Amino acid sequence: MKTSLGKRLLNAPCAVWSAIFIIVPLFIVLYYTFLDQDGGFTFANIYELAQYKGVFITSIIYALVATAICLLLAYPFAYFLTKSSVSSQKMMVLLVMLPMWMNLLIKTYSWTVILDNNGVLNRLLNLLGFGSIKLMGTPGAVILGMVYDYIPYMILPIYTTISKIDNSLLEAAEDLGSNAFSKLKRVVVPLSIPGVLSGITMVFVPSISTFYISQKLGNGMILLVGDIIETQFKIPNYPLGASMSLVLMIFIIISIAIMNKFGDSDSGGVMI
Amino acid sequence: MEKENIVELKNISVAFDGEQVLDGLNLEIKDKEFITLLGPSGCGKTTTLRLIAGFLEPDSGDVLFGGEKINGVPSYKRQVNTIFQRYALFPHLNVYENIAFGLRVKKRPEKEIKEKVAEMLRLVNLAGLEKRHIDTLSGGQQQRVAIARAIANHPKVLLLDEPLAALDLKLRKDMQKELKKIQQQLGITFIFVTHDQEEALTMSDRVVVMDGGKIQQVGSPQDIYNEPQNAFVADFIGESNIVDGNMLRDYFVEFSGQKFDCLDKGFAENELVDVVVRPEDVDIVAPEKGMLKGQVTSVAFLGVHYEIIVDIGGFKWMIQTTDEHFVGDNVGLYIEPDAIHIMKKSRYSGLYGDYSSYSEEMDEMNEMAEEAAK
Repeated sequence: MKTSLGKRLLNAPCAVWSAIFIIVPLFIVLYYTFLDQDGGFTFANIYELAQYKGVFITSIIYALVATAICLLLAYPFAYFLTKSSVSSQKMMVLLVMLPMWMNLLIKTYSWTVILDNNGVLNRLLNLLGFGSIKLMGTPGAVILGMVYDYIPYMILPIYTTISKIDNSLLEAAEDLGSNAFSKLKRVVVPLSIPGVLSGITMVFVPSISTFYISQKLGNGMILLVGDIIETQFKIPNYPLGASMSLVLMIFIIISIAIMNKFGDSDSGGVMI
Repeated sequence: MEKENIVELKNISVAFDGEQVLDGLNLEIKDKEFITLLGPSGCGKTTTLRLIAGFLEPDSGDVLFGGEKINGVPSYKRQVNTIFQRYALFPHLNVYENIAFGLRVKKRPEKEIKEKVAEMLRLVNLAGLEKRHIDTLSGGQQQRVAIARAIANHPKVLLLDEPLAALDLKLRKDMQKELKKIQQQLGITFIFVTHDQEEALTMSDRVVVMDGGKIQQVGSPQDIYNEPQNAFVADFIGESNIVDGNMLRDYFVEFSGQKFDCLDKGFAENELVDVVVRPEDVDIVAPEKGMLKGQVTSVAFLGVHYEIIVDIGGFKWMIQTTDEHFVGDNVGLYIEPDAIHIMKKSRYSGLYGDYSSYSEEMDEMNEMAEEAAK
């Protein structure tokens, strides 16, 4: 049929693009995962992953903590942003987006200047007579880096969903006896769940796979999955790096699937 | 028996961005009455409603509820509930939870909520749809949920902001009757906002006609229709021919070059006035028997009657009649004294009531152009 042929032709560039840049690389990862030193098939790489269990768990904890902090900071910020005047909303959104236009490496490196033992912060503390504190190489520094780098990805989707809530719904809630807190609890929060879920995904995924932040701000003291994978590809031990990437990817896919499940039941079912 | 005022608006003024929306508005609303705020868009009727709901505070003037001033009392503490224009139902809740919303906020026991919601669903004929999701409901059903959600809270006053505007004609007529029934059954004061004059006349105990942030007239539907106070009200409610007149003395008026008996008095001698004659109150007779003579310039068949435009000395009259007439016929008009209503001159005089632009103006302009071309 003419239309379907036309449609297929129209979709062709997209299909070709996905094939080259998504499907093929995935198969390469899959291929290397089961490759042994001599080019044969093996499960050895998967078994070898067991010794990195601790790193995986650390990475998950770091990513969860960073995501939780982002959510706790971003939600109130986004909520109050929707309450402010249109002009200041535009300004603030611009300010939130501004760091996103800067290179991640530069942003992270800037933090080393601030957090270093002879950094801006410690010099200030010295000046005030508090003495220096070790900041670099601590879990706090790594979490700070993650939160700083990824919080815009939490703020923006939450801000968008909250600002899209029809004002008449808020008036209706107030009309039915809701004070400010009850309006937030019964209308704003339930209706902003989709934004929260996409924010969580967009912060959790890069946090769990980062390597640069932990290297720079962790001073090499804190090892995350991303660091190990990077090392494997540098050695190079492609099969081990690939198998780690695969496991990480599967973990992320499962996490997203669970989140989507949450999202569906929230928008489709009863929520009180 | 004079009922108590439940809501009073005293000398209310509201301006948005320097534009006066309400201008010294005074209104008393009686307990248990069905009152309608009627007017064109931008007349301030919705603003008035929002003042009572508490979504808006007046720049000056007082809002009283049950005799007490409620300026500054937040909306959630007022004993009023609103039915919103687009219903504003909660999309994340089903029918049951939407109706239960107000009761849950007030932390009523579960058993009471269940009984109340069931009662409300019966009242609005939605029993069995508890579990349905809002976006799977038709417009009419959503409307009913909105009504149930509002009255589940036992408001003393229910505010309705053009609630029927989104429904089609047939459904609207049904809902009009149903709302009226619910109002009488529950004995709640209804403050209804609409721009639909027919809706206002059929449902209300009293109608408040508004324009330009001011009340033009308050009265029963009959008063408003039969005794409009100025040209705006006469024109906005139903069809009317409004001509310049001269009140020669009590019960005697001159317009369109003829003198007529009428039933109005209390004007100065020779006072210039606006004269209203409703299209259905004019009889078409043979030219020699008519009080006024003219020529038919347009005829439209509307089913129940014909709508005829008659040119009388350059002024176009609209007449509704069940007899058929044809364009070009010379006819006479006969007007009974009780069909003539006299109004004082107002700022609306001369703005309304001439049907020149109503008839086939374009045709005439074309004809004139043709004649000019000859």
